[in-house]
Amino acid sequence: MNVDRNWVPMKWPCGPLAIAHRNKLGSRSPDLKETLEAWVRPSALELLKGTPVNCLIVEWADGAPDDSAQHQALKPLLEAGGKLGMSFVGKLALKKGTGAAVAAARAAGLSAVMLGETSGQSFDLPVIRESPRDKAAWEAASTIFSATENVWPGLNLQTMNGDTALAGPTGIPWVNSNAWFSLLGGELAPGKTSWLDFDPPADSDLLHPAAYALAVADSRAYGSRWIISLDDKLRAALPKGNVQAKGVWEKLCEAAAFFEEHKEWQAFKSQGVLAIVSDFRGDNAYLSGEVLNLLNRRQVQFRIVERARTLPALEGLKALLWLDHETPGAEELAQLLAFVRQGGLVIAAAYWGTPDVTPAKKDPSLQYRLYNDGKGQIAVAEEGFQDPYQVAVDTHLLVSRRNDLVRLYNPETTNCHASGESVSPHKGKRLVQVLNYSSEPAASVTVWVNDRLEAARFWQLGAAEARTLQARPASPGTEFDLPPLSDYCALEFEGTEL
Amino acid sequence: MGAMGAAAGAWLARPMMSLARAVPAGRVAVGTCREYGPEVTGTLARMFDQLGGLEGLVRGKTVAVKLNLTGIATDRLGYLPAEITHWVHPQVVGATVQLLGQAGAARIRLLESPMVTTEPLEEFMLQANWEPRDFESAAPRVEFENTNYLGYGKAYSRFWVPDGGLMFKGYDLNHSYEDCDVFVSLAKLKEHVTAGVTLSMKNCFGITPCTIYGDDAPVDEPSLAPRGGRGPFHEGNRLPAKSAPPPVNAQAPKDPGYSVPRVVADLVAARPVHLAVIDGIHSMAGGEGPWCDHVRHVQPGLLVAGTNCVATDAVCTALMGFDPMADRGTPPFETCDSTLRLAEQLGVGTRDLSRIEVLGTPIAAARFNFRQS
Repeated sequence: MNVDRNWVPMKWPCGPLAIAHRNKLGSRSPDLKETLEAWVRPSALELLKGTPVNCLIVEWADGAPDDSAQHQALKPLLEAGGKLGMSFVGKLALKKGTGAAVAAARAAGLSAVMLGETSGQSFDLPVIRESPRDKAAWEAASTIFSATENVWPGLNLQTMNGDTALAGPTGIPWVNSNAWFSLLGGELAPGKTSWLDFDPPADSDLLHPAAYALAVADSRAYGSRWIISLDDKLRAALPKGNVQAKGVWEKLCEAAAFFEEHKEWQAFKSQGVLAIVSDFRGDNAYLSGEVLNLLNRRQVQFRIVERARTLPALEGLKALLWLDHETPGAEELAQLLAFVRQGGLVIAAAYWGTPDVTPAKKDPSLQYRLYNDGKGQIAVAEEGFQDPYQVAVDTHLLVSRRNDLVRLYNPETTNCHASGESVSPHKGKRLVQVLNYSSEPAASVTVWVNDRLEAARFWQLGAAEARTLQARPASPGTEFDLPPLSDYCALEFEGTEL
Repeated sequence: MGAMGAAAGAWLARPMMSLARAVPAGRVAVGTCREYGPEVTGTLARMFDQLGGLEGLVRGKTVAVKLNLTGIATDRLGYLPAEITHWVHPQVVGATVQLLGQAGAARIRLLESPMVTTEPLEEFMLQANWEPRDFESAAPRVEFENTNYLGYGKAYSRFWVPDGGLMFKGYDLNHSYEDCDVFVSLAKLKEHVTAGVTLSMKNCFGITPCTIYGDDAPVDEPSLAPRGGRGPFHEGNRLPAKSAPPPVNAQAPKDPGYSVPRVVADLVAARPVHLAVIDGIHSMAGGEGPWCDHVRHVQPGLLVAGTNCVATDAVCTALMGFDPMADRGTPPFETCDSTLRLAEQLGVGTRDLSRIEVLGTPIAAARFNFRQS
């Protein structure tokens, strides 16, 4: 039995174990108990007919006496689900007895188990490792790994003043997004799929349909999958035929189905002339994660490069941000200096280039010393990398907006990601995905791309076919005026040589 | 350097009452230009010739050009680029730079105080999809500076308002406004929600650094980076950093319609404008930026230039369908005092059309009524 990267996972809390968990958390409402009992019935699977959801995550064992009751309660659901082609993954939260629980899962027909630590044990059932994202199981044996401690995508409620989104220092509203982590997963665990485990906000009240669609899109647009998770009220309302709940569910499924219909986009590579280099681990994890997050929020398109003994080819890049405290090794140094001498820019916290080079200063607003070497430069932060926000701002300015691949006008609550068949923005099929993080539609958003185009294929969630969106020349690139954007859209076009 | 500014300051230092009777009259050129394109340069060249030519003003001089690039670079009115609505258009900037260069300007410095950032002005322009290199290639020596903070200067330059000022006795500005021989205000023809109109004088509101005059500027000394908007000028909600000259009257009304026009009048008295150029080819009506309610795109098809900012703005106000002699309560000054009147009282220039020589297209032929368009 193998895990399937194409699984569309959904949390399916039900049965005695789920009820016990909720009781421990103090959620003892009769409605919730009723819901958890209802969702263990095979009839609950009716909800999934015609949807792309094909993998249910069920609570399987936590070492309590309820475990066997849970196994018994799930039996009819597993049988009915199996007939529908549904896969089940059992979630284990055990300190001991993992082997027995896995054996029980195998016997019950589960396809895999999800657990935090394997302690070096091997099991005869695939294991999906789940860990907090700062300890993500990049090297896990399974082709799927799951990360917790993600954020619910959307406007940051702590920076809201009533219905008004307050601007951050960038002049744009703060948003919560897991985009950077998804992008990082694509680099650190190539060929694997990261599942993002996060739940709707506890105080949500039948979230806006676009909120669930965004949770799907914020993961899929950047290469990971959200483990679909409904809030309690929505889960209670759905079996009762609540119209609003049905609308939310349909929108969510529409989003999930859309990305399944565009699986080829998942193979697209992030485009950008800037490489962010780090090992992204240990002492470097915080700074590198924050910088990725903040660069993404500035719509800076970048490629992530994991620092290793030898860097990959730096072809097509104009700049490289060396984030780590560690100085490059001999091989890396030679490669970096060659990159600089050919005209590249390397941004670093300390100077390790050729000795006896007198630095210059580019602009009073940038606290950097610039060391010319060959045709390029090494820019060194005068006080090192201290504030991730400042690192992101400075990096964007040092690389220059002249090298932007994409920009948004009237961006407000939106953000975007550029990818393509090639890392080069001028070859093959290109994709610019735009996401709106507000429950209000984004109006009058214009997308600028650094490509000369007459039109693009315009995709929206739920659309079976693309429509043509006419372009407007905006030298040296092209602009596209988007219709009001409730959640997500994508522009697809062929890259051209400028 | 600074000779012309000092000269202007000298006559401004005369008593206000006598100046009110004998403010400089002006010559203002009005050109029609339906669209942005090659015709912009020709139209501006003709207008500058009508004013007597630029050569006498700029040959061998350092010319500072304050651009009107208000707000955030990615803000648009609908889908229209900023330069079609609330920013001066790059073709007008480029043409002006080219003509200044051709007239012998030794150095041309493009200035603006981009909102809440210390980023280089070139980067701010690039964000709006402008190409700063176009300006660099339009004249021999073109430079850029973000004046919303200390910038390349070692200290802020202090500009005292002749006769003590209406709101503040003086203002601390980026060095660029002192380190120049000629100061040009390159503005947009717009209404303004707070000040009625925003033209070459109101454009100078943006020469004040938000490191000192920002909402969140420190109490005592300027911050390193600009913090917030210019609330202290708008709302009077706090004082600027104490390092700057104090207010004239600490009890002044906390009414933006009172304070903003006075600050503007102070600024153009303290930092005289030698050449006012106003882009009214495309613009917006109802307010100064896309953040204002009930605004719309308009196409007056006009360029206006003059050597006196009050006279130039008076002609612009008339071209927009308003009476430049109007005061508070009368359009466009329904909720504010008239900057034109206040600047006139400070002796900066006249708003009386009968004392202004209008060259080129007559006002009656070029008028574009902003309220009825």
